[in-house]
Amino acid sequence: MPKTPKTTRNRIIVICIVLLCVTMVTLYVREGDNGPLHKVQNFFLDLVSPLSNGFSKIFRPIKEGFVNLFHLPSLSKQKKELEKEVASLRRQMLEATERDAENTELKRLLKWTEDNTEQPVGADIIGQSPDNWQRLMIINKGSSQGLKKYMSVITDEGLVGRLISVGSHSSVVQLLTDSRSAIGARDVRTRETGILEGNNTGELRFTPMNEEADVKEGDIIETSGMGGTVPPGKIIGKVTDVQNRAKGLSRLMQVTPYVSFSKLDKVVVLVTPEPESIILKESQ
Amino acid sequence: MSRNRQIFIGVLVVLAFVLQISVLPQLKIFGVMPDLILVLAIVVAVQEGPVPGAIVGFLGGLLQDLASPQVLGVGAFSKAVVAFLAGTMKDFFMTYTILLPVLLVFFLGMLEMSLHQVALIVLGQEQIPPFSITTIVYASLYDVLVVFLLYPVLKRFRFPLKEESLTIAKPGPGPG
Repeated sequence: MPKTPKTTRNRIIVICIVLLCVTMVTLYVREGDNGPLHKVQNFFLDLVSPLSNGFSKIFRPIKEGFVNLFHLPSLSKQKKELEKEVASLRRQMLEATERDAENTELKRLLKWTEDNTEQPVGADIIGQSPDNWQRLMIINKGSSQGLKKYMSVITDEGLVGRLISVGSHSSVVQLLTDSRSAIGARDVRTRETGILEGNNTGELRFTPMNEEADVKEGDIIETSGMGGTVPPGKIIGKVTDVQNRAKGLSRLMQVTPYVSFSKLDKVVVLVTPEPESIILKESQ
Repeated sequence: MSRNRQIFIGVLVVLAFVLQISVLPQLKIFGVMPDLILVLAIVVAVQEGPVPGAIVGFLGGLLQDLASPQVLGVGAFSKAVVAFLAGTMKDFFMTYTILLPVLLVFFLGMLEMSLHQVALIVLGQEQIPPFSITTIVYASLYDVLVVFLLYPVLKRFRFPLKEESLTIAKPGPGPG
């Protein structure tokens, strides 16, 4: 059968698509973070972020309205629990204030100086990951506000994640719950350190360095500062499940983060002098 | 395909992208959201053929790649390939009802997600999201729901060519 011009044209189009994709992928993988394709990607992110911001502002209240409607029956029970928690927290706060004063006094006596050079930069959440494989959020601040890759992102509830891509006016935050997120963490009660990993669900998995570590349900987990990207002492969440497994296998410790990621609206980026991932740097 | 139809599909690609980055993340069920661009590419492939489908998949996938910090071109490639396959496979089915795009979106949706993951592994990316069958199945089911909204819209706005309109308007002389 003779080839029609349309068939030839279609073949050319398909070949062009394949060639374009292969070229783009090759160039992107080979160039560094400051390469032209990465710059185009960051520029595009800056370009679409106001659009994304506008839509999310419109749709967030609608979504929250629906979610609240579903949770209406459990609100009364939740209120009673929260009242109890508030009373308990008030007691703890008083104790903590006393300890703080004591701590400050002792530090003064020891002439202890803390290396606290973090500068907070407030940012709005303006978008989320457009696919199902990543737990990312886009914020409306970028390198023009002094942000750099690997800087930590927090809220008053605790650690949210860290920056993995920085454009001039927007940045991408990798949430703690992202399956590729792994940060150094420790148990506040026992000071046992370990790795805290996300798994694309609402929960996190804590693996202590010491297999026999004393970690119990209810223990609070904070950042350890190991790894070089996240400063120490940032609260993350509470251990909600400890499963003992067969000998030789690591124990499964589930941590529920304090931050409710689905309701995030505003965050704070900790601008530190030079955050960098030691592990990633060594592997390059 | 008429010029008007091309413009209409072009507008739909941009609209699908805007919805994908703004509205759909707010509509997650079980932690997954539909891939509107993939559904659009497959539906176009079913109605217009493999090449228009591949073009829509490529352009939509490229926009999606640009809007997220992932390897540029992988999403464009996987969507273009899957849409091309959809356009080619539709001839093997004996049905032209909505069942055809539903089946194609469900199975090829799973293929696209797998292809995407495999491409990242082949490229030796350090941080690859874990392969989750549950996520793939849930996302494909969610995609199928979108087909029921998108397919009738694309079917309704066909914008036939002038010659096609004339053929419909002036039927030939009947017997006798």
